[in-house]
Amino acid sequence: MMRVLIVDDEAPARDKLRRWLAEPADIAIVGECADGLEAAASIAQLQPDAVFLDIQMPGMSGLEVAAQLEAAQAPLLVFVTAYDEHAIKAFDLNAVDYLLKPYDKDRLLKTLQRLRARRGDVAGAGASAQESAIRTAREQTGASGRLLVPQGEQLQLIDASSIHWLQADDNYVHVHTAQARYMLRRTLSDLLLQLGERFVRIHKSVAVNIAEVRSLSPLFKGDHEVVLRGGAVLRMSRRYKEELFGKMGH
Amino acid sequence: MKINRALFSLWGLFWLLMVAVEVQDNHGDHGIQWWEPYLWEGSSCLVATLWLLLERVGAKRWDEYLDVPWRWFAKHLAWMPAVILTFIPTIYGIREGVYALTTETYEHEPWSFIFIYESIKLVLFAGLWLGIIFGLESFARWRHEREQLLLLQKHLAESQLAQLKTQLQPHFLFNALNTISSLMQVDVERADRLLTRLADLLRSSLQAGARDMTSLRDEIKLLELYAQIMQERFAGHVTLTWKVAEDALDAQIPTMLLQPLLENAFRHGVERSRNPVSVLVAAEKRGEDLLVMVFNSDSVLSQTPSNGIGLRNCRERLEVIYGARASLRIENENGGVAANLAIPFKRP
Repeated sequence: MMRVLIVDDEAPARDKLRRWLAEPADIAIVGECADGLEAAASIAQLQPDAVFLDIQMPGMSGLEVAAQLEAAQAPLLVFVTAYDEHAIKAFDLNAVDYLLKPYDKDRLLKTLQRLRARRGDVAGAGASAQESAIRTAREQTGASGRLLVPQGEQLQLIDASSIHWLQADDNYVHVHTAQARYMLRRTLSDLLLQLGERFVRIHKSVAVNIAEVRSLSPLFKGDHEVVLRGGAVLRMSRRYKEELFGKMGH
Repeated sequence: MKINRALFSLWGLFWLLMVAVEVQDNHGDHGIQWWEPYLWEGSSCLVATLWLLLERVGAKRWDEYLDVPWRWFAKHLAWMPAVILTFIPTIYGIREGVYALTTETYEHEPWSFIFIYESIKLVLFAGLWLGIIFGLESFARWRHEREQLLLLQKHLAESQLAQLKTQLQPHFLFNALNTISSLMQVDVERADRLLTRLADLLRSSLQAGARDMTSLRDEIKLLELYAQIMQERFAGHVTLTWKVAEDALDAQIPTMLLQPLLENAFRHGVERSRNPVSVLVAAEKRGEDLLVMVFNSDSVLSQTPSNGIGLRNCRERLEVIYGARASLRIENENGGVAANLAIPFKRP
């Protein structure tokens, strides 16, 4: 059984997908969302196998939703769009699944066929397809300036520049800002891929916003102490010092 | 106009020729000193050049008569008495003055003969040079006007091309088609109605593409078709209000000028907002002007206005048709964004 989530801001478009997806016996629709934030929350909560993700939506576009997903655990994605020259070029280039509006049943069935094949081959094509879809979405939205974080029961977008440092903790990452600390079920390495150049790892489990570093002072054996503008004192192991020094222009 | 270089080059050559002829004429005449021909022609050249400079500075205001040659010549020739009365006494004054410094005497014909002879010569030369000036000025003006015309035609052609490109964005068309494709699964009649609206809109916009101007009445009809389709797509998400004054309907307006403004209200207002959005289209006649406003609630202008092709195109068409007489301002207003257009009520 393939569990599918439908995301589109237009009711008639959702109706059509729901109607057609209800026909194959191996598809179960687990939810429908009308905008990007709702979609991000539903993906986290319902853990669908596949998502039909409309691109043009108010608040947060489908591409932005995809850019925020943890690559290795993301559902299979099918982007749906009426007209988006740039994105479509990138999808073709990276073999990302998409549906062009309007589409007929044959095209939807072909897409489902491809999803089934990818799902049956999780270790190979499936996994790489997901990662490729998310990487493409991140490229399309630019090195993401925003990060989606849980705030109580809800999700909200915060500015990446407001983040001071990141700390990995088992399956979670703690995101430290001046005001708050958020806990994300993400891996540090994928989060760093999403956030781009402005963050650098200083320890196996710690990364800092380069703009927030106030001072560096040497400790024993090539380790350093890193003091942030916000006051946090962190330890940098010598394995990572080249990267920070390089990016800070030492 | 940049004809002075050509004119003064010709002038220089002309006087070189005059001097050469005079020197040649008196060559071998032992009663005449070598410098005398130079003095005679030099004094004439000096005074004539002063008058030419005066013409260059003072006659600009007669440029408007270049299209009516006899008036242009009449304006110039009216000055001939003044030229004659200053020219003859001055050159003979100069010559007598220089001779007085030497041991030579200046021998010339009696004054009455000189006056008539020099006057005829002056009028003939003045006629020749006015002809040359007129030719140069006319050529410069013709070239300037042709450049202006070419520039205008180029702008117009570009703007018309862009107009065709921006009419009904592909984004809009494909989304409308998708809405129809989705609707017909559940409500065939509604889908059919929407399809008919889309066909009407396409037909109107194709007709509009063939004309430059239309009445506000027709333009509003086109907007209504567009709005009906968008309302179908965003049912329950948008409320539309029309406030078009009766006496504004006969205004002349460039075809499809308002459509991009309404499209922006939907794209940046309705499509990007999670709340219900109200869209207002208002038009009124004020004095000699037509004022149109397209407003959408619940959005803010981005800090760096992207000025999409739709808006840029609107502005260029306004510039080509009305020059400085039209204005289009996009600004934040009452928690939303308003496009305010002011154009002359009648086509210029």
